[in-house]
Amino acid sequence: MKTKRFAPVMRGLAAIMACLLVLSTAGTGIADSYRTALDSFLRTTSYVTVTDEGAARFQSDYATIDEMMAAAKALAIKEGEEGTAVMKNDNGVLPLDPGGTVALFGLAAYAPFPYTSGDLKAGNEDAVDLLQAFTDAGVKVNETVRDFYLNGILNKHTEEAANPWTGEMETQVAYDNIYVAAPGDMAEYQIVEVPPEQFASMGAPAGWKDQIDKANTTAVCVFARGAGEGNTYAPGSALDYAGNATGKDPLALSEDELAVIDVAKETCSKVVVLINSGNTMVLKDIAKGGAHEVDGIAYIGVINDYQCTGIVKVLTGAVNATGALPDTYVADNAAIPAVMNFGGGYYADYEIVSQNGSDPRYPGVEIGNETAGSFGGTATYNGGHYIVEAEGIYVGYKYFETRYYDSVMNPASNASSSKGATQGPAWDYNQEVLYTFGHGLSYLEYEQTLKSVDVDRTPDGNITAVVELANKSNQDGYFLAQLYAQQPYTGYDRQNGVEKSAVMFLNSAKTQVPAGGTAEVTITVPTKYLASYDYTNAKTYILDAGDYLFTAAPGSHAAVNNFLAHQGKTPADGMDAEANGAVLTWNLGALDADTFSVENGTKVTNVADNADLNYWTGENTVTYLSRQDWDGTYPINYNTDVEIRLSDSPKRDEWIAQLRGQVYTIQNNSPATEGTDQGVRFDTANIQYDQLSDVNDPFWNTLASSITIDEAVGAVIHGGSRSDVLTNVENPVVLQNEGVSGFTAKHEETGYRFNVHSQTLLASSFNPELAYEWGRVEGNSGLWLQRFHLWGTGLTQRRTPYNGRNYEYISEDPMLSNRMGYGILQGCADMGILNGPKHMGFNDQEHNRGGVSAYLNEQKFRETDLRCFQGGLEDADGMAVMIAFNRIGATNASHHAGMLQTILRNEWGYTGLISTDMMNNKYYFNAESMVMAGITQVADFGGEDNHITLGEGGVDATWEYISPATVQNDSALVEQARQNLKYQLYTFANSAIMNVSTEKVEVWWDSALKTMTYVSGTLTVVAAAAWIALTVLPDKKKEG
Amino acid sequence: MLKKLSAGAWISLIAAVLTLVSVILYTVNINSEGYFKNASVTNLTVYAILALILFLAAAALGQVKLSGGAATAVELLSGAMQIVAPVLLALCLISLIAARAEGLGFIYFSNADVILEVQTPANLASATGSIASMIALGVAIVIGLAGAFCPVRRKD
Repeated sequence: MKTKRFAPVMRGLAAIMACLLVLSTAGTGIADSYRTALDSFLRTTSYVTVTDEGAARFQSDYATIDEMMAAAKALAIKEGEEGTAVMKNDNGVLPLDPGGTVALFGLAAYAPFPYTSGDLKAGNEDAVDLLQAFTDAGVKVNETVRDFYLNGILNKHTEEAANPWTGEMETQVAYDNIYVAAPGDMAEYQIVEVPPEQFASMGAPAGWKDQIDKANTTAVCVFARGAGEGNTYAPGSALDYAGNATGKDPLALSEDELAVIDVAKETCSKVVVLINSGNTMVLKDIAKGGAHEVDGIAYIGVINDYQCTGIVKVLTGAVNATGALPDTYVADNAAIPAVMNFGGGYYADYEIVSQNGSDPRYPGVEIGNETAGSFGGTATYNGGHYIVEAEGIYVGYKYFETRYYDSVMNPASNASSSKGATQGPAWDYNQEVLYTFGHGLSYLEYEQTLKSVDVDRTPDGNITAVVELANKSNQDGYFLAQLYAQQPYTGYDRQNGVEKSAVMFLNSAKTQVPAGGTAEVTITVPTKYLASYDYTNAKTYILDAGDYLFTAAPGSHAAVNNFLAHQGKTPADGMDAEANGAVLTWNLGALDADTFSVENGTKVTNVADNADLNYWTGENTVTYLSRQDWDGTYPINYNTDVEIRLSDSPKRDEWIAQLRGQVYTIQNNSPATEGTDQGVRFDTANIQYDQLSDVNDPFWNTLASSITIDEAVGAVIHGGSRSDVLTNVENPVVLQNEGVSGFTAKHEETGYRFNVHSQTLLASSFNPELAYEWGRVEGNSGLWLQRFHLWGTGLTQRRTPYNGRNYEYISEDPMLSNRMGYGILQGCADMGILNGPKHMGFNDQEHNRGGVSAYLNEQKFRETDLRCFQGGLEDADGMAVMIAFNRIGATNASHHAGMLQTILRNEWGYTGLISTDMMNNKYYFNAESMVMAGITQVADFGGEDNHITLGEGGVDATWEYISPATVQNDSALVEQARQNLKYQLYTFANSAIMNVSTEKVEVWWDSALKTMTYVSGTLTVVAAAAWIALTVLPDKKKEG
Repeated sequence: MLKKLSAGAWISLIAAVLTLVSVILYTVNINSEGYFKNASVTNLTVYAILALILFLAAAALGQVKLSGGAATAVELLSGAMQIVAPVLLALCLISLIAARAEGLGFIYFSNADVILEVQTPANLASATGSIASMIALGVAIVIGLAGAFCPVRRKD
């Protein structure tokens, strides 16, 4: 029978179809998990938002998208105008002569950092670079220099590369010579500035120097330093243009850059250097008295699409220079005490933390304790590596200015000892510091005078200061006022180890002042920030008895001199300048350890004793820097100068448990209640004013109690790149978005991107009102993009200049970060947008960020990095925050209940969502500990994965020891997970997410997978049936 | 003996060898330094070994000389094995892809500023090993499917 010959064909077809059925069925589940990523790569949209604009609670300030785009652009230009900080201005070099010519030198003059678009830069078509901005402003640019830089040295071109996912060809910008945009992870950093001896070989015409009209030309030299996530500069790692190691600091100007400056000085009458970097650079060679001193230096930060227009307006004097430095610039970064303990190293016996298959959570798995990349990869607790932040509160100017103050006021403190001196045998402020925090030269002469100060010493009280700005020039202008304070440093402080900076920035403001006139600005700041944290005796915030001094000054050094003069000191006593700025005093008669000891009904006391290395060693291993003895307490390196052995600790087992992430252990003795439908839903019918205004309204607990055990734990530990729908809640899907410069997503109709902000220039604007304006623009753009949750700013303190993510952060100063954070987050909150600042909890270096232990005392804990976030999360209505990768002490920051529950939730009264950074290592990030610490969403790339049953055998897909069966008898864990989600849902309800409902739609690849499943399933059955039938048919017998 | 094997039996044997190769590659991969160290995929080895056994069994059944109903039953049994074996391998492949997608994404498609940190020699070697396992599985599936079109029993 001939048909029988088709049996093998049918069998083969059945096999193929069965395989396709398996692939399409399983593939559908996988595709669902990566839906957000697939949508991005395939340019599809799986979720659409349905908006009832008339009923929307949050509505845009702008009627049209054109108005929205114009507002974003105007704001970015304003950042350039207000953020450009003139550091040095001699010989009248600035503002530039409007009738003169400039010659632009340096790679960054023609391709400012960043030159590529993406997270850092929007890359809109109408972006303006420096060259264009000069041209637009009518400034003549020397064409000879321009041409050989553009055509010979840089040679901008494009390269075609295939998108690895879509296969679509994409165009990328490239240059023949360009600075290194990403310094890498403590790697060698090549400074690729082309030295003048190479100019001729790269197209500079013979005699190019003669084609510059020296008398009428000012050289503008621009130098950049790269930055980025996962990047950390290594001291001494610089390579020159030729690739030779120089042993110099990569943040110092290289010999090649100095050679460019020299040739600029040779060919032009004046020279201005622009610093295009988010990392403070070492400018000793070009500062006053330097071997390559230039006429002018200005800080322009890390630019975006439109800031150059504003920068050039400052350089040409179209607007007054009002920017100020958010960091201290020193002659040598080795003079910074925090640099003594940077990068980190291993404990002497870190291996003892490793487990050879005996961790009960991971039976049979060998888990090491070595460092891992921030994207994980190896089975390791990554707890072997640590740094000790022995500088305490003395970060940036607080160290340099306090030591200067003590060198004048209290020489017995050994302020002038050799410790920490890099420029001579004895420490000398003026040798060590080039430009201090708050420094920024105004073109127009003006004075700022503190007229009054009122201190409301109540828990919610404010310091209210009135500063008079007197415009001494004959032009109307815009001016900056800065408010500084000095707390009394008392015998109590000395006895109890409470450190006080001799000067602290409180807040600042700007205003217009008519020519020859005056104007007053009122500056307020919560009084609580005047208090200091006493972690040894009172174990709470205290206000010492004594005089609290206030002054208005153009920078922290001028403020210190005002205080010294007020206290009767003169240059004869060692002051470096006369000072006559007004100082006002507020006196407190007796020590106050009560007013700020309770916050939001929570007793404020120590929560981070074990962040101190001394807690673990049981002895005074670490000596924290103290102004009592600058010499005797100057930090040593706690990785190389001492040997730390875990096994020597009297708390050895407790320490090791922390390093293994065993902060919380799942219990098995208290059955949790299963969540059931309570008849309430996440919708406007159920959520009215009472519910929106109070997270303690009974509705929220009712709603949370309806969440099943599986989903309660699953939704927290798989927070993903989006929140998922909970069965009995029916909450909307909320997508998370990057980045610190604004939403990176493109507006569909116009193709416009709104991530046009520069964090660095906003910081150097010293203008919290501008921060609010940016926050509001950022929030408005979210409404136009229909995206509501953004990781849209960075507030980590800049502890050292070497952190590759300093460009995302604001300042070395907690209060400048605090006030800027307040503005940005309040602006977004007013538009209903969740803007989560990164990375709360001492993300002080990117190097081994996914595990490094940062040891510190509780005064530093509360008064430095956490204070940077407090303004946005406590004082403003901040709705989201991302926690740092690293450990605080030995505890993963995302496991730190003291920081997250006690301080953030209870003391600060924060009701928003709390996210981890990317969950990269299941041995480092412990699911149950994160739940108990109050994390509301653990970040991963998943979606539709809010379950603990998605692994093989119905267990969790990541932490296999977690399943409904293993958590159902731990009511505390399950209830904490529900509470965490309650806060998250409450936050969503108070955001623009309530403006819309989210609907899932079927995209083409959904249809393709579904069709493939149905067709292959049908054909499998048909082919298999045909094969069986043909096989069992009897063979046709041959006749005859 | 081997000369008497049918094309179907030969192909099943080749698929079995490739399956073994893919299991070895996978095992080496999860025991080597790098991103996927210890990142075992549940049941992958079990399914792959089962597929290997089915390939071998199908080839072996082809050598059994029977007639009548018994021959038909054996033919159905060996045929079912030829169908199920590549299906099991497909299950292995899709499970492996699902487990490796995020990691490979990290290693190859991270932002430019973190790529140096991610693309360590160990991680790249680990990714390459993982991809090699997938390719070996894919080839084994294709060979196994080709074998399903051929009888394992040589015609008398």
